[in-house]
Order: sequence, then C-alpha cells, then structure tokens
Amino acid sequence: MTRAPRILRLCRAAALVAASILLLAGCDNNPQQKPWRGKRPDGSPWTHPDGSPWTVFYWYIPDEFRSLDPQFMYEEVSLRILEPVQDTLLEYELMETQPYRVGPCLLEKVPEAVQNPDGSVTYHCALKPGVLYHDDACFPAGKGREVVAADVAYAFQRLSDPAVQSPFFSNLSDYVVGMQEAYDAAKKAGGKLDYDTMKVSGIEVLDAHHFDLKLSKPYPQILYWMAMHCTTPVAREGVEYYDGQPHPDGPHGRMKVREKFAFHPVGNGAYQLKEWVRGQRFRLVRNKNYHTKVFPTGGWPPEREAVCRPWAGHALPLTDEVQITVFRELLPQWLLMRQGYLDSFGAYKDSVNSIVTSTKVLSPKWAARGMKLSTSTYVSTFYMSFNLQDPLVGGNKKLRQAISCSYDPQGFIDLFYGGAAPLAEQLLSPGIPGYDPNFKNPYRFNLEKARRLIAEAGYPEGRDPKTGQPLEITLDGVATGAEERQLMEYMQRQIEQCGVKVKVIENTFARLDEKQDQGNFQLLTGTGWGADYPDPENYFFLFYSKNFPPAGKNVSRYKNAEFDALFEKMATMENTPERMKIIQRMNDILVEDVAIIPEFHKGTYIVSQPWAPRVQYNMLLDGGAIKYQPINPVMRARLQPLWNRKPQWPIYTAVAILTAILGYGIVLNRRRNV
Amino acid sequence: MFSYLIRRLLYTPLIIFGVMLLTFWLFSVLQKPETIARTVLGKRATPKAVQEWLHTRGYDKPTFLAIGPKKPGQAGEGMFDTVFFNEMRKLATFNLGVSDVTGQELKEVFQQGAIPSLLLTLPAYIAGFFMAVGFALFLVFVRKSALDTAGVFACVGLMSVPPMVYIIFGQAVIALTFNYFPAFGYEMRSWSSIRFLLLPVALMIVINLGSEVRLYRAVFLEEIGQDYVRTARAKGVSSVRLLLGHVLKNGMIALITYVVAQLPLLILGSLLVENFFGIPGLGNLLTSAIQTNDFAVIRATTFLTAILYIIGLTITDILYAVADPRIRLS
Repeated sequence: MTRAPRILRLCRAAALVAASILLLAGCDNNPQQKPWRGKRPDGSPWTHPDGSPWTVFYWYIPDEFRSLDPQFMYEEVSLRILEPVQDTLLEYELMETQPYRVGPCLLEKVPEAVQNPDGSVTYHCALKPGVLYHDDACFPAGKGREVVAADVAYAFQRLSDPAVQSPFFSNLSDYVVGMQEAYDAAKKAGGKLDYDTMKVSGIEVLDAHHFDLKLSKPYPQILYWMAMHCTTPVAREGVEYYDGQPHPDGPHGRMKVREKFAFHPVGNGAYQLKEWVRGQRFRLVRNKNYHTKVFPTGGWPPEREAVCRPWAGHALPLTDEVQITVFRELLPQWLLMRQGYLDSFGAYKDSVNSIVTSTKVLSPKWAARGMKLSTSTYVSTFYMSFNLQDPLVGGNKKLRQAISCSYDPQGFIDLFYGGAAPLAEQLLSPGIPGYDPNFKNPYRFNLEKARRLIAEAGYPEGRDPKTGQPLEITLDGVATGAEERQLMEYMQRQIEQCGVKVKVIENTFARLDEKQDQGNFQLLTGTGWGADYPDPENYFFLFYSKNFPPAGKNVSRYKNAEFDALFEKMATMENTPERMKIIQRMNDILVEDVAIIPEFHKGTYIVSQPWAPRVQYNMLLDGGAIKYQPINPVMRARLQPLWNRKPQWPIYTAVAILTAILGYGIVLNRRRNV
Repeated sequence: MFSYLIRRLLYTPLIIFGVMLLTFWLFSVLQKPETIARTVLGKRATPKAVQEWLHTRGYDKPTFLAIGPKKPGQAGEGMFDTVFFNEMRKLATFNLGVSDVTGQELKEVFQQGAIPSLLLTLPAYIAGFFMAVGFALFLVFVRKSALDTAGVFACVGLMSVPPMVYIIFGQAVIALTFNYFPAFGYEMRSWSSIRFLLLPVALMIVINLGSEVRLYRAVFLEEIGQDYVRTARAKGVSSVRLLLGHVLKNGMIALITYVVAQLPLLILGSLLVENFFGIPGLGNLLTSAIQTNDFAVIRATTFLTAILYIIGLTITDILYAVADPRIRLS
C-alpha cells in the first residue's frame, strides 16, 4: 500500500480538525448559565413540591451597575438589580398606572400625615412583622434576622452621613427633622457620622416594628420617597461586615478581602443576589422566606385578564431565578431573543424596523412564533428649552410661539423611537395626577399659524425688518455621533419653515453643561425630565424661579410670578380637586409662555417571548416588578430547539471548497514545477 | 546594544509623560470632572454634593499647572498640586487607584479583565499567525498563477471589509442562522466553555488575516528569489521542503518585527469583539469607561498601554538584533 503524499495527509488532517471544531461547537449554542438549582444533589431534575420545574427568567441590562448601596445609588441600571433584592417601605401598586399610586410593602399600610400644633407633620409607621433579611454571612450563623424599625433609623443616619455622599440628602434634609443636624455634627467630627451617638431626631423608634417619621413642614411627597430605595431599612451588620477590607475569612484563617457593601447588598426582597460576574451577568435566586407581597387579586385591565387571573393571590416571586446579562450592544440582544435565549427585549432605533411593521404591529415573522409586542411609556417628558433671559427669544413670546408652531416632533419620534413614544402636548407625562389626556397644545405644529405669529412677533416671513435678512436663532445640542447630527438637522429644517435661519451649534457634554449653567444659549435640544415620583410638583419645580442653574434645574430660567405663587401653593397639597385646578392653570401658563416646546414622552417597544407574557406596565416599578413575572418552562423547552436547528451543509461546503483549492494548488504546482 | 537599551529606557518616562499629557488634555477638553460627578451622582445632585465628590478625589484642583494668583476657593497648594501631577505621581508608583464611577479597585479590575482578554487574543494571535503563514506559503507555492492572483485579491478583499462587518456576519450568520456557536456570552468553568471563544477567536483571526497573509507572502516571495533557493532547487530539494525548510526559516527574521511588537498588547484585548460578544476583558472595560466617563479607568488603561507598547517595541529591537547578526543596535 502506498502512502499518500505528505501534503495531502496534512490537508486531510487540517480538514478533519476544522470539521471537528465546527461540530464540537455545534453542540450547544445556548449562552445562558445552567439554572442555579438545575439538578438535585442526586442528579435528578430539581422541581418544586408540586412537580413544576425550577423556572428562570432571562433578562438584560445595558451596562454594568455602579453601586447597590440603597442610600447612594440612583440610576436605572443599578435599580434593575437592587429593586428585586431590596424591598422598599412602600411600593407602587402594580396595576395602577393612570395615575400611579403607592401601596404598602414593608409597611403594613400607607401611613397618614398627622398635623402637629407647631406646623410639623408626623407619620406613624408600622413595619410588617416577620420580614427577614436574606441569609448572609454578616448575620450570626449566617441566618437573616428580622427587619426592625431601628434599621429605618439607621438608613436615615446613612443618608445624613457625609461619608456616604447620598445624593438624596439635600432633598430629604429640607423636610425630615434632624437630618441636617446629624450631618453638621458628623462634619464637625471629621466628616464621619458616629452611628451610636448622632441620631436623626425625626425618626423615633417606638418598638421593634413601629416608628414615627417627623417632618418639619407638610410634604405629602414623602410617601413617594418611601417607595424609593434611599429610605429602605438597612441592616447595620451588612454595612459594617462588607467593608472592602481584608479579614481572616479565607480557608485556614487566611486573609481575604471582603466586598464593599456597594457590591454586596444585604436585602430583604423577593430575590437574593447569588452571583455577580463583573461586566457580565447577575444571578438572582428566589428568597424562600419571602412573604411581603403576593400577586394582586384584581385591578388588571381586561386584555391582561387571561395572563393575570391564574396568578391572583399567588405567592411571590413567580419565577425561581432571574439571570441578567450585561449587553452593551443592541445587536446581540436581538439575536439571543430570536434564538429564544432572552425572554424580553426593548427595541428601539435601528432594530425597530425589522421588528415592527409600518402599521406599528409586530412583524408577521415574529408574530408567527408567538412573540408579543407592547409599548412602554416612561414617566418622562422631553422638550426643547428656550432661554427666557436671552434678549431675542426671551423677550418675544410670539416669536417662541411661532417657532413652536413650526416644529413637528413626530418626525423625531418616528426616526428614533419607531413611533413608540407618544407625542407630548404638555409638560406632565401620562400617569401623573393632573395629566390631561385630552389636552391639545395650541402651539403644536401648524405652519399657517407659525407664519402669522412670526409676523406678529415683528419678523414678517422670518426676516428682521431692520436688516431685511432672515432672523438667526441658535440651536444648541450635544453632537457626539451621526445620529445626533441627523436629528439636529431635522430640527433645523423644521424650524426654518417659518422663515427664520437656524444656526446649529454642536457641543460636547461638558460644554453644554457649562452653557446651561451660564444661560448661554437661545434654544436648547435634548432637555427633559424623568420623574423621580409621580407628582406634578416633580415636574413644575423645573420652572420655579428659585431653581435657576447651576443650583437648580430651571434651565429655561423661566420666571412668572403667578406660576411661582401657584407652585408654592400646590407643592405641598394633597391631590384634591382644588389642586387639580391649580395644576391646570399652571399648565396653561406654561403652554402660553412657551418656555419649552414639548416633544415626546419616552417610549419603547417591548417584545416578549410566548413563554414569558408581560403582566404589567408599571414603569416606576421596573426591577421591582420582576417578582410578578411568570414563565412557562414547558413551552420554552418545546420551542427553543425548533428555533435553533443546525444545518450541516455549510460545514461540508466549506470543507469541500478548502479541499478543492488545496488540491488545485497542488496540481498546479506539480504541473508547472515552480 | 547595551547603550541603546539604556537610552531607550531613559526615553520611556518622557514618552509616557507625553502620552498622559495628551490624554489629560483631550479629556479636559471633552469632559470636565463636574460632568463626571453629575453623571455619577445622578440628576438630583446639588452643586454642594458635586463639589464634595470632586474634593474627595482631588478633581477640584487645577488640571495641569497652578500658575498665577490663587483664586478664592481654589483647591491645591503650590504650582504642581494639580490633577495631572497628582495622578501622574500615583501612576508612577503603579497605584492605579479606584474607578470614578463604581469605586472598585482598578488593580483588581485589571487583574480580572486580563484573563478573558488573553483567552481571546492569545489563541487568535497564535492560530492566526500559523494560518497566515500557511496561507502565505500556499500562495507562494502556487505563485504567478491565477490561484495566486485570486488569493491576493481575496486578501485585499478581507482587508477592505471593516471589522464590524465581520462581527455582524459572524453573529448574524454563523451564530444565528447556522446556530453553531453562542452569539454572545462568556464563562470559564469547564472545557465546554470553549464554545464561547471559538467564534470571537475565529473572527479576530479573519479580521487580521488579509493583511498578514499579504505581508508574509511578500516576505516569502523575496526569499524564494534568493540565490540559495535556486541552489537548493538545483540540488533537487522538493517544493514543500524548500518552502518549509528554507524560505520559511529565513523569512521568519523579517516577520519577528511585526509579530513580537503585538505580543504585550494582547493583554488589552479587543474593544469591538469583546464588546459585541460580552467578553469581560480589558477592551470591554475601556469601552464601558469611555461610555460612562470613567476617567480613572481611561487614564490607567492609557498608561498601561503606553508601557506595554514600549516594551513590545524594545523586545522587537532586541530580537531583531539577535536573529540577524548583521543588525547592530546603536
């Protein structure tokens, strides 16, 4: 038997290796981690007592979180991780979004304000008994202890501790008695608060489960603050244990650096953070001791009846585990969604076109798979801001009205949000008490009106009568990429329809910040507000004349005596009909003065897998709503393989082409003998 | 050679100083520390909170030099008590500090990120080198034929396509349509975890393949025209042996410069590939730092990159002299 030439043998081996690599890789393309408790110790599948399998929800975040310290953290990404882990004193009612309303969570009921003779206000609060912290090494024997009132007092001390640098301090210390004093005492003592001696006098601990919260003046919005993480009870053991320092925790008493508290939350929520791989993923696992909340027994809209009804009154969380992957790019997210390895996907910008048809329904290809499309409207409003102190636009209301009438934000919404974001007619966003869904802004896009108004403003056809030249307005914005540039060009074209000339100024973030602080602009794009809590006060304070930048957020430098007086009156009122009237009036003043051109309320399309139906639309809960998410693992197990078939022909074709090239090359070489 | 190395070593701090000066200047133009503070502290942060944040990190001091009379409220003592000089002092002792955004120790973050980066770049580097040499030798094997021309065309084609297109193709076709590999993700637990790296490694090879094959082919073609090759052929050495035993061996000297210079930079990973495949390496870290304005991470990465680059160039020079006795470093 003759042996094949060496080169042929080499080629054959290479082809074999290439093919085997491809086949090896073809074994499993599921990037998700195996469930935390996929198997029992004896190897059998882990199930619940009723035989149902361990369920996992696969979710995503767009970036790494920054901190999980409830008193410090304040941004959406971190909230997604912290909210399922850490319950709050109050929580937004899952099904009530028009308007939003808070209900009890760690507290037994929503506390009521009791007016004191000295003008201060007290809230008598009662914690639910039996709520436990997650089992953690910081507690004796690793067993989580009960959440007590002293933990709330400790949280308020942390808010007042200069070392924590809480961004909430300045807001809360205006109202909560004793916070400023504790802060000042700590500052005097070298910038660190002594938790044993420097108490916040506004929190009086009555017993293990009862405490009083005292405010120096009425502030009904405090209830919304109780639904935020900054006021959530914190276990002192956790903060002191996770200090980021080396301790003899390692095997055989070896020194080991403990995590910082900011990266190791000791919570009491429906899930416990079991795994965190930096920049990569999080794994939240069911807290088996969780009894704080149950699935709502009613209140859902008729179209969600079928999904919600079977879960009414069910213990939470509905899903055993949540795996959250960090995706910094949109493309891989959508790919994994198509393969069934992600359960929910927020589509916007470029991805919208392949998902949503021109009639704003899910493309038939995905609808056929059983995927569902819904929209989420954030409690936010985006707008263009005029500088009211600018001699040109600030002093000429008709000019501002004319500009507002010549700009149609719908094109922007279609371009960037695929039409998912509703057009804003007013400052308040849907879900805020006082928001009027029937309100139509009189200075909305209307070219005829714009031309009339610009003439009334003293600039017929947009020209300055003194010079005969078109009036020039500057439009400032951040331009870091092609998209922003495209957007600003769109705005320029739109506004120029009334005859004026728009000069676009592209800025860096830093430069625009500076301009906002100095009031050095005429018209500014990219401004907006996402509500901290669903109260009109949280929007109208943006136009209160005592809030000028840099200390405040009144970027327009809007000043109107009537508006200010109404704001001061309504800010601390309950949502009575009288308050609603004031809100309407304030809205009318703002609309008439055109300090801003309302553009849209941010919205996105959400695509859900057939096995992970969307039960709720509460945008203020976000991460906190994950405990209400049901999963049908049987359907997933059936559909996933169908969506992930592996064709063999590409491998054979690739190997054949490579072999042919190699063979031809050898023949060529032999023939020519070069 | 010794004096050359000493001189090189003396240049190093100056080069790094220049690189850092440029980085600080660029960053101070694009992003003021106040903006970073506002991003980190959230939209409700008061000017007082921002000021405190800046003060704790020493960012309230002048950026480069404190020249002229001290303004009221200006932090820092003396001309060199500035952000630039303070941070440079820390970096000079390899004290990388903590992240501006998350507060994590950067030394730890870099140690964690280096492993995934190396797991991605090292196999791509080694396998890519062998593949490029193999293809280049094959083209030389069939030189001056239509197949050779087609090969060169294919290389130019490969070079002309932007890396993003390869990544999108890899994810959309190989990972999604064919379902061979995971389209995203990373783990290092068992041997089966290798599946996460196969596609990104393959893509990294392909991204660099075109230019490398062309370069190596040119080197080998030059060698194959030499007299010693003609002599060897006249003595009856086979084509394969000629290529592997003579051309490859002598051509390697020219390749060392190109190949070794890249070696230290492997640790930094790849910005694009890591980001798109979710590999938690240093490239991913840098992308995230740029997106979140984490100046501490950016300056530490720039500092390390500059050092690694200089190390790479120095090693190349030394190896060049060692491999080719005709070269004298002076």
